[in-house]
Amino acid sequence: MPSEKPSDSDESSSVSPFASTYLVPQAPATVIRGATLLTGTGQQLDNADILFSDGKITALGSAVKAPAEAVEINGAGLWVTPGIIDVHSHMGVYSNPSVRAHSDGNEAVAPATAKVWAEHSVWPQDPNFEKALAGGVTTAQILPGSANLFGGRGVTLKNVPSVTMMGMKFPDAPHSLKMACGENPKRVYGDKGGPSTRMGNMAGYRSAWIAAKAYDKSWTEYEEKVAKGDKSAEAPSRDLEMETLRGVLKGDIKIHNHCYRADEMANMIELSKEFGYQITAFHHAVEAYKIAPLLAKNDICAVVWADWWGFKQEAYDMIRENAPLIELANGCAIIHSDDETQIQRLPQEVGKAMAAANRMGMNLTAAQVIKWVTSNSAKSIGLDDRIGSLKEGMNADVVLWSGNPLSVYSKADKVWIDGVLRFDRSMPVLNHTSDFNLGIITPTGDRP
Amino acid sequence: MKKLIITNLLVSLVITMQLSCMGVANASDILIKNARIVDGSERGPNELTDILVKGSMIVGLGNGLSAPQGGRVIDAAGRPVSTGLFNADTQLGIIELGSVAGTVDSRTSNENITASLQVSDAFNPSSVVIAYNRSLGISHSLIQPSNGAGIFAGSAAVVKLSNTGNIVVKKAAMVVSLGQAGSELAGGSRAAAMSLLREALEDARDYSKNRSSYASGSRRAYSLSRHDLDALVDVVQRRQPLLVRVERAADIERILEFAREQKITLILSGVSEGWRVANKIAEAKVPVIFDPINNLPSSYETLGSRLDNARLLHDAGVKLMFTGMGWQNTHNAYLVRQSAGNAVANGLPYNVAIQAITSNPAQIFGIPGYGQIKVGADATLVLWSGDPLEVMSNPDLVLIDGQEYSLESRATRLRDRYYKRAIK
Repeated sequence: MPSEKPSDSDESSSVSPFASTYLVPQAPATVIRGATLLTGTGQQLDNADILFSDGKITALGSAVKAPAEAVEINGAGLWVTPGIIDVHSHMGVYSNPSVRAHSDGNEAVAPATAKVWAEHSVWPQDPNFEKALAGGVTTAQILPGSANLFGGRGVTLKNVPSVTMMGMKFPDAPHSLKMACGENPKRVYGDKGGPSTRMGNMAGYRSAWIAAKAYDKSWTEYEEKVAKGDKSAEAPSRDLEMETLRGVLKGDIKIHNHCYRADEMANMIELSKEFGYQITAFHHAVEAYKIAPLLAKNDICAVVWADWWGFKQEAYDMIRENAPLIELANGCAIIHSDDETQIQRLPQEVGKAMAAANRMGMNLTAAQVIKWVTSNSAKSIGLDDRIGSLKEGMNADVVLWSGNPLSVYSKADKVWIDGVLRFDRSMPVLNHTSDFNLGIITPTGDRP
Repeated sequence: MKKLIITNLLVSLVITMQLSCMGVANASDILIKNARIVDGSERGPNELTDILVKGSMIVGLGNGLSAPQGGRVIDAAGRPVSTGLFNADTQLGIIELGSVAGTVDSRTSNENITASLQVSDAFNPSSVVIAYNRSLGISHSLIQPSNGAGIFAGSAAVVKLSNTGNIVVKKAAMVVSLGQAGSELAGGSRAAAMSLLREALEDARDYSKNRSSYASGSRRAYSLSRHDLDALVDVVQRRQPLLVRVERAADIERILEFAREQKITLILSGVSEGWRVANKIAEAKVPVIFDPINNLPSSYETLGSRLDNARLLHDAGVKLMFTGMGWQNTHNAYLVRQSAGNAVANGLPYNVAIQAITSNPAQIFGIPGYGQIKVGADATLVLWSGDPLEVMSNPDLVLIDGQEYSLESRATRLRDRYYKRAIK
């Protein structure tokens, strides 16, 4: 698990600025009894119990013994999943209301801006966060937009209320780097000095990686000198753009690459091999199904919508069975939202893809496909040792659903993050609402 | 009346041609047995019905109906049958690919063409978007223009996703944007948009009474081109409703008042804050079109947006029509049923949600033969694998006017190509 641990010898990462200040609040132990559990590890446990305390899942199965003081919840007829994870969100960087002043997701001034960090744009009062929470979303990766070849660093947030971004930041989560293929960069920069073509895009990536390799070499040489006790070693000068790219080359920063077309994804894989880095995930990946075995072989997740298409040329070849065909190739399928409305019902998106797959001839179950918004998602953001599955020792990010979460009629009844009840549909007055919402409909009435 | 007779003649001509083209008339006759009819009417939860289709029509409903000679028998075995679904705000057949300008016919930046834009003139029934959505349960839609140069976008049309006779109502509604969009189109200020609307309707009235003096150049200048004024005459003479895009409670109240003064017929679209003035909308008997999934303050005019807007509007007595889902309301027009399902999850009665995507638009836009499952209605039917509002259900059979349409689409062709490779 790569985490950005400070290292004495590397000045470029010797401090951990903007570190998380999130602390797990005290909460009573909680046990849910007799529910249907989708574990996120491929299992469905019927009539099962789950116990969590001190922020961690401590037991699951039948007739789980709970401490006397534990809050007991009757889960009969209800379903439980791990907290839903959205690995492609712009909450906080494209906040609502979507006024120009809130447009903080694309540093669209140059095609390569690996130096910018999405977390520096995040507005924690974005009223979208609490709506996502009501849809069971406990963790979200906030990415920069896709105008640029290198859009900047993404950040993983816990969906908890906080006045500061650092209070939401997932402790010790790796950063990501957003890259973008295809139509967007060439459209945005076609009249601004380029790139104006896909070949121009590729030249842009390669030039940047060549520079990053040289930067990495100079810093590695310096670090080796320091390690050998060479007191006269002079540190190269820092470059924010190059620091991010070097983080990728070292394996500390994960590549999340916006890319629609199969042939472009294949080119991007070649590019990653030329410069020796790993692509973690292709996002949107409308044509991922065309290269499912290639993605599986290279251990790259396909992060897709269930059914969006047609808004541009590279989104023409959508099929509803995209994620299922990745699953069929034993690859890593993930459903993302990229949208503040979709994020509120990601399990429904999973349900649609599952139903389409089973019509095609597959035989997928809810137990299998819930991975697409839980454990597979966690893997792609480097947090599968902490979130995304219901297992002993995992963070107690837990959602209690009114029914099968894949159904249009089901809703998240209760949502816990690290064992703390953060949303309760039956107690609306206790649920947190953004500063933005207060008194904005009438002086005494908040936004619904 | 005369117009009606001509239409009826045309319809019967078309039917005759279809029958003669297909040869044996009863080859297309279908008996769907044991269907759970879902058409927005109250029925017993376990009530099963046989549906007999001859030619383009439903000719029998009941139990134990006998199979038509030479026709097909399909056992629904309790599966639901609905009418084809209606999405009340799409751009089906007028946009193929959003970012490919040559395929986008929903708007024009030509300043002389605003109200006079008729999307039916550009409708392409061969669009893959149409075949796709038909295979997933949509049979009808109100296709709406987008704003170009002015507050009037043009005439929306009701289309049928069939191979022939697609344009059902050519000038179903005149679309105008007020609120924030209207303000931007008017050069700033909602008041300016209202002023433009008032001026346009006054000009249309004046023009309609003085066509010859206008033609001879002896009438005052008007705010719009001759064609645009012509298009608005139907609105001021109440032959066509004005479909107003509006979100904020205060803006809704204002347009209701304006319509009363001007004696025009209204449909409201958007209505994020409709719940706040639901009684007034109901009192004015104005139907609304919106996506019940919207609940975010995407602008300062949708601050009151909420998931139970549909329930609250219905409780007040407002007639609902739905679109959806989200901004994918054209390419995934069929997901209007997911939006409707979410409205039910947030308190809207099930049958009311079904009416909002079938019989309500049929009634409001006057679509003969469509909207309910009854004897004499068009056989525009979808047999579903399960509850049509459930996201995990899919169509097993799609009929429009008795004709069966393929469940294949460009998407399933692509799917099958790669699925076959994968399981080889």
